[in-house]
Amino acid sequence: MKRSGLWLVLGVLVLALSAVAQGPKVGGELVIAFGTDPESLDPNKITSAPAGMVLTHIAETLLTMTEELEVAPLLAESWEFSEDGLSLTLYLRKGVKFHDGTPFNAEAVKVNLERFRKATYAFLLFPRVQTIEVVDEYTVRLNLDKPFAPLVAHLTHNFVAMVSPKQIAELPEGQEIMAPVGTGPFKFDKWVRGEYVRIVRNDEYWGPKPYVDAVVFRVVPSDATRLVLLETGQVHAIMRVPPMDAPRVAATPGLEVVRVPSVRTIYIAFNYQKAPWTDVRVRQALNYAVDKEAIVKEILGGAGGVSDAPIMPLIFGYAPQKPYPYDPEKARKLLDEAGIPRGFKCTLYHPTGRYMMDAAIAEAVQAYLREVGIEAELITMEWAAYLAFLRKPVEEATFDMFMLGWGCVTLDADYGLFPLFHTSEWAPKGSNRSFYSNPVVDALLEQGRVTPDPEARKAIYAEAIRVLWEDAGWLFLHYEVQINAQSTKVKGLIHHPREYILAHRAWLE
Amino acid sequence: MLSYLVRRLLVAIPTLLGVTFIVFSIVRVLPGDPAQAMAGVHATQEYIEQVRKELGLDLPMHVQYARFLGGLLRGDLGRSLRTGLPVAEEVWTRFIPTLELTAASLFLTLILGITVGILSATKPYSLYDHASMFLSLAGLSMPVFWLGLMLMLLFSVRLGWFPAAGRGGLRHLVLPSVTLAASSVALVARFTRSTLLEVLRQEYITTARAKGVRESRAIFVHALRNALIPIVTIVGLRFGALLSGAVLTETVFAWPGVGRLVVDSVSARDYPVIQGAVLVIAACFVFINIAVDLLYGVINPRIRYD
Repeated sequence: MKRSGLWLVLGVLVLALSAVAQGPKVGGELVIAFGTDPESLDPNKITSAPAGMVLTHIAETLLTMTEELEVAPLLAESWEFSEDGLSLTLYLRKGVKFHDGTPFNAEAVKVNLERFRKATYAFLLFPRVQTIEVVDEYTVRLNLDKPFAPLVAHLTHNFVAMVSPKQIAELPEGQEIMAPVGTGPFKFDKWVRGEYVRIVRNDEYWGPKPYVDAVVFRVVPSDATRLVLLETGQVHAIMRVPPMDAPRVAATPGLEVVRVPSVRTIYIAFNYQKAPWTDVRVRQALNYAVDKEAIVKEILGGAGGVSDAPIMPLIFGYAPQKPYPYDPEKARKLLDEAGIPRGFKCTLYHPTGRYMMDAAIAEAVQAYLREVGIEAELITMEWAAYLAFLRKPVEEATFDMFMLGWGCVTLDADYGLFPLFHTSEWAPKGSNRSFYSNPVVDALLEQGRVTPDPEARKAIYAEAIRVLWEDAGWLFLHYEVQINAQSTKVKGLIHHPREYILAHRAWLE
Repeated sequence: MLSYLVRRLLVAIPTLLGVTFIVFSIVRVLPGDPAQAMAGVHATQEYIEQVRKELGLDLPMHVQYARFLGGLLRGDLGRSLRTGLPVAEEVWTRFIPTLELTAASLFLTLILGITVGILSATKPYSLYDHASMFLSLAGLSMPVFWLGLMLMLLFSVRLGWFPAAGRGGLRHLVLPSVTLAASSVALVARFTRSTLLEVLRQEYITTARAKGVRESRAIFVHALRNALIPIVTIVGLRFGALLSGAVLTETVFAWPGVGRLVVDSVSARDYPVIQGAVLVIAACFVFINIAVDLLYGVINPRIRYD
């Protein structure tokens, strides 16, 4: 072959190879739009998913939950419970530094966890965790008063994030952390309250470094405006697309809709201590009376999964039950048996604008109940007032039913069941606002907490769920499915059931 | 004039005190409290009680009010219950964008509103008059939320002339200020037209015309000057409304203004921020009214304030 011909072939080969070798592009600023400004970026004060989403890019947890729902190492490489289940030893990753250069070690963990005693979500660890021991530079031991099997899952919760002990030490009394210094793949850059939070790539990250240079989380309260920003290309990804807009967005070239189940279950609870809700037939009847499939299909546009358990399928300990089919005749029969006359009046409280289509769902439920002769009066109120209303003790609770959601963010059944169904968690102390009380369930949930073997735990929760299901502890509705949308130019974004969009491995084309 | 100003400023003090008392009481009468609102649905009662103590919410009402007033005298509006930041700082950082938006809307209101009104009044019942009055009726009737989204769809999505949302340079200001100004422009246009029409019917105008005065001078110097008093009143009132009522525009355009701050604070029951923000807005309103009253004296020398 002539010389020039050879060079030509080589040249073409190189070009072809480089095109094939085209992988994730490094660089660029990724913009994600969501609806509410984080209330805080301090692990002690964080309460919402949007805030957790931002924090988790900056400050990491000791353990993480994989997409297969297994607890995996993060800042802790391995862990083990003691024989008696009364202490958990964590072996930490070495060579990790916080963004300010402070080394990450057992002492840092201790400082963080001691501080976490005052956190809003302290109940994740305390009072079960009694003391935190620094065994050696990279080993930490948590000592418990009673065995607590969910502890490991709780340590994957994004709020239990590690920040620099230097930052903690230098924090003035009574102030909170505004610019968290963590160990994460991104560093905090800027937070203009009400507008955006900006984070930049951490080039000294101990793990795989992000591709994008920076991520901006933009605060855009109006759903419609977020959509417009995505369509004009001003943002790359958005959260909470209204269900009726999803088909249109999916059909738009250059955009794609991402549907991911959320850990949040939406339910209607009965006032378990008030007649006639004390009668299991009445509770079951209402479960037969409401067509949950229709609600998910028509009102949510398919963005939901009909509940077949009080927790959703991705939660450890989930055990599917036979759903209550839509059967108004059976419902009416049960109500007759229980002596509930036609036209029976009751109240159904619900929030508005808090959960997807909450008011519309309440209206639908009202219509279904009317079909079987129950007249439910719908009462709504603003969210803070609603929470206050539901915090009354049983003697003052006047409601018949209320709608609420519960996000089982630890992805472990204990958190999805114990606070809501155990007798010791009755409001106002805890979150059992329906005053549910069942000694069988109580015993099972307590057992689930102290049993170390995962398979044994699963069996316990399966039984607890079975009992709750047959007892019709709630008017079971559905779990939410998040509808997010993104530009096709963005790759590698992770849409997580905890209602986060994670940019750790994302890139822009 | 000066003594009038001083008197008005002194009277403003009890007015503003009254505002603080009303806001203070109303937010505390609302069901739900800051500790519960901040802690969220998952928190335990124990934690909520702890927060209540920390924030001093368990103190009796009059003690809380006294503390608030005491702070006010020192120029301290307290700290946000949510963020711990000084309220003054929180309100100020959000106030500047609101002022931007309000100033731009006010500018449009004055220029467009008065111009359209004058043109309508000088050519009453003409095609132009009917058209502009119809458009102003439309501007008054269109819901702000809807108008904002429509403008966004047309000028941002379709034409790509302006950014859809957010605060930035001048281009970011156009759509939100047009949205916010729409009803004010309409109101001022209609008001200018009707006031000017009335004034143009007055005898001194007929005299001026009979004297051979140029029509434009008759309108702008003689008529407008007399019509200005009611127009300035309305514009002053609109300024106050623009300042405090921009929350819908701020929501649609993700504009970080004080309106949204107040709404978010009410949802979170962040008492100090609600009190601080409302006080600042009320103070602005009071000062605008004083300025408008002083302006009367400038426009019409016969009005004296001694």
